[in-house]
Amino acid sequence: MAYAYLFKYIIIGDTGVGKSCLLLQFTDKRFQPVHDLTIGVEFGARMITIDGKQIKLQIWDTAGQESFRSITRSYYRGAAGALLVYDITSTRENTLKIVIGLSLMFRRDTFNHLTTWLEDARQHSNSNMVIMLIGNKSDLESRREVKKEEGEAFAREHGLIFMETSAKTASNVEEAFINTAKEIYEKIQEGVFDINNEANGIKIGPQHAATNATHAGSQGGQQAGGGCC
Amino acid sequence: MLTRVKSAVANFMGGIMAGSSGSEHGSGGCGGSDLPLRFPYGRPEFLGLSQDEVECSADHIARPILILKETRRLPWATGYAEVINAGKSTHNEDQASCEVLTVKKKAGAITSTPNRNSAKRRSSLPNGEGLQLKENSESEGVSCHYWSLFDGHAGSGAAVVASRLLQHHITEQLQDIVEILKNSAVLPPACLGEEPDHTPSSSRTLTRAASLRGGVGAPGSPSTPPTRFFTEKKIPHECLVIGALESAFKEMDLQIERERSLYNISGGCTALTVVCLLGKLYVANAGDSRAIIIRNGEIIPMSSEFTPETERQRLQYLAFMQPHLLGNEFTHLEFPRRVQRKELGKKMLYRDFNMTGWAYKTIEDDDLKFPLIYGEGKKARVMATIGVTRGLGDHDLKVHDSNIYIKPFLSSAPEVRVYDLSKYEHGADDVLILATDGLWDVLSNEEVAEAITQFLPNCDPDDPHRYTLAAQDLVMRARGVLKDRGWRISNDRLGSGDDISLGQPLSGGHWQKTPQPTQLPTFLRVNSAALECWGSRLRRWTRPSSRSGSSHPRVLPVSTNQLALGAFLGRSNGNTKFCRTYLYVVLLS
Repeated sequence: MAYAYLFKYIIIGDTGVGKSCLLLQFTDKRFQPVHDLTIGVEFGARMITIDGKQIKLQIWDTAGQESFRSITRSYYRGAAGALLVYDITSTRENTLKIVIGLSLMFRRDTFNHLTTWLEDARQHSNSNMVIMLIGNKSDLESRREVKKEEGEAFAREHGLIFMETSAKTASNVEEAFINTAKEIYEKIQEGVFDINNEANGIKIGPQHAATNATHAGSQGGQQAGGGCC
Repeated sequence: MLTRVKSAVANFMGGIMAGSSGSEHGSGGCGGSDLPLRFPYGRPEFLGLSQDEVECSADHIARPILILKETRRLPWATGYAEVINAGKSTHNEDQASCEVLTVKKKAGAITSTPNRNSAKRRSSLPNGEGLQLKENSESEGVSCHYWSLFDGHAGSGAAVVASRLLQHHITEQLQDIVEILKNSAVLPPACLGEEPDHTPSSSRTLTRAASLRGGVGAPGSPSTPPTRFFTEKKIPHECLVIGALESAFKEMDLQIERERSLYNISGGCTALTVVCLLGKLYVANAGDSRAIIIRNGEIIPMSSEFTPETERQRLQYLAFMQPHLLGNEFTHLEFPRRVQRKELGKKMLYRDFNMTGWAYKTIEDDDLKFPLIYGEGKKARVMATIGVTRGLGDHDLKVHDSNIYIKPFLSSAPEVRVYDLSKYEHGADDVLILATDGLWDVLSNEEVAEAITQFLPNCDPDDPHRYTLAAQDLVMRARGVLKDRGWRISNDRLGSGDDISLGQPLSGGHWQKTPQPTQLPTFLRVNSAALECWGSRLRRWTRPSSRSGSSHPRVLPVSTNQLALGAFLGRSNGNTKFCRTYLYVVLLS
C-alpha cells in the first residue's frame, strides 16, 4: 500500500515482558497468552495515519534473552524508534523467586535492567532515535512491583516518552506506537532527521519521493502538502 | 527416453515447450525484462514470510538474520538461517528449498516404459508369483528427503526457478528407477525388458558360470535371457541415483533455457542439493557452495567447489578444442601475469590444459590476448566475467560489451557424493552443514566445526529449534557486526558481505518411519552472506524449555554476563529419542 513515510521501530527489553504480545496486539488486535520465546527477530507492519498522512510502521521484535543480546544489538542500527519494555509485575521472576527463595534478588528485575538496555540502545543506534519507555502488564494491578511514578521518573531522567500499557486488554497499545510515530514525525518536520539517509530508519514512500526530492534535507515544514494522494 | 522425460516434465510443470528455444536472442539477458516473471521473487517458501516480512528482511543496514519461525518445522528438525548481503544486490539472491518427495512409479496405461511391460509380461507367467507380490508393492512410493541451496548471481530469476522446480525434475528422474532401487537384492539390469537375473548378487560367480555353460537359472522359463559370452559391468544401485541427479540438473538447465523466451528468468545460480533416499545421502553440487558433515567433531567434506581455478584444465581444453568460443579476444593459456607487448619473443612461464606444472614458452602475438582465466582465489574469473563455473541458467550471459557467450564454458553437471548413513553411528550433535559461499568465504571448515561443537552441546537436545539456533549462530559469526570500517568478524577480520544461507539437520530419530539403529545427521542451513563471531566469549544458550513442554528447569537470564544455571542437564546420548540433525548452510553471493 502506498505510504508517505515508513518508520522502522525496534522493540527491546527483557525476556517475558510482553514485547511480542504488544506487537501482536498492535498489528493483529489480538492477545495470545502463551507465546513462544522469540529466538531471533520477528517482523510486523501496520499503517497508521498522522496529520492526514499514511505512515507505515515496520516493527522489529527482538529476542530479550541475554544469550541473544549480541544479535539483538546488531538490529538497533537503522531504527527511527525504539519501544523499551519492562514488566510492571516482573511476573516471571516472581514465580521463580518463590521457587528458589531469592525474592529480593529478582524483584523488579526487568525495571532494574532498563539502564543496561538504554545504554545498549544509545550506543548502537543513531542519536536521534526516539525511545518510548513502556511499563507493560498494567492489567495486573494487584501484582504491581513498579509504581507508575517510578517509570515516569526514569523516563524523565533519561529523556524518554513513557506509557503504561496492557497487551492483554489493549490499553494504551495503539497510543504507544502512534505517539512514538508522532514524535518521529515532529522531528522530521523540525528537520532533525535526514530523511534521505535510510540509516535513520525513515523511508519516503514511493509517491512522495518525487515531490520530496526537491525538499531534500531542507527544513520540510510544509513538505508534501498532503494533497498528492 | 529423453524426449519422454522432457515432455512429461513440461506437462507436470505446466510449462510450455518453447518451439523456438534454439534461436539466439542477440539482445541478451536484459531483453527479457518485458516478459513476465516465471515465479515472483520471495524468500524460501518454508520460511512462510509475508510480503512485509520479506521487505524487512532486505534491510541492508541492519541485515537481519532470518530463521525458521517457531511454528514451522522442517523434516529432520532441519535448522535454517539466512542473511542478506551488505548491499551488492537489492535482493537476497540465495534461495533454498526443503521438501519430502514421494517417488512413485508412474501409474496409468500410458506409461509404456519397457520396464512396466516386462513386469506385466512376467507376472502372467506360471512362475511369476514372486513378481506379482513385487508388483503390489509398486503402488507404494518411496519417500525421500530433499534439501537445496541456490546462490544466484546477476539476478534472482534462475535461483527462484530452480528452488521451485529442481525437486520435480529429481522426482521425475527417480520415478523411472524407483522399482529397481527398491529391489536391492538384485543389481540393476543392464537392459530393461530382459529377464532379470534372479540370483542375488552374492552368488554371481555361480550365475556367470551357469551362463557360460549356456544354461540359465530359471529352467522352463520361456523367456530365458540370451546367453552372454562377454563380461558385463556391475552397476550398483547408488549409481542410478547419481545418474538421476545428474540428469535432473541437466533437465533443469534445459528448462530454464527453453523458458527464457517466455519468461524473464534473470541470471544464473549455483545449486547444492542433498537427497536422502533409502538410507543414503546423495550430495550433488554444481557451483561454489559447500556441504560438510561434522560427525563426532570430525569434518567430512561432502562437496568440492567448481571455480575458474579448480576447473582450469577443463576450461582450457574446451577453449583449445573450440577456439571460436573465445571470440578472438582471449587466449586459453595461463601465464603468471599479464604479458606485455614489449615481452614478445622472450620466454615466459605458462601452462596449458594438459599441465598442472609450469614451463617456458616463447611469447607470440596470440599470448597478448586477455587470458581465459584471470585472477586469483575469489577474484578468479572466466573471461573476466564469472567466478563460478558450474550451475544453472546464465544462458544469456556475455562478456561485457561483446558477443562472446559464457555459457559454453559453464556446466550444469553436479558432482555427487554418497554417504551411507547406516555405516556410522550419529549423535544429536552430528550435523550436515550446507552453506553458500558467503559463509565459507570467511569461515573455514574447522572454524565452523568448532563453532558447532561448542554450540550444540549447550543446547537442549529436545529443543526443536536447536539446529536453527546453531545456524543463526553461524550466520552471525560470518556476518559479523557493523563497525566503522564495514562488517567485521572475530579478530577484526572482514565479515562476509555476501548473502548467506545455511541449513542443518540433526541426527537421530525415525528415518522413513522405520526405527533406525543409528542416529542420522541433521541439517543446518545457513543462507546468507556475512557472519560474525563474538570473539572469545563462550556463549551458553540456555533456553527455557517450557516451549517443548519438557521438565527441564527453567533458566533465567540474570544479568548481563551470566546466564543462569545449567539449563539443560544434558541427557546421555543413549536414551533420547533418535533425531536427525543435518546442518545446511547456504550462501548467496
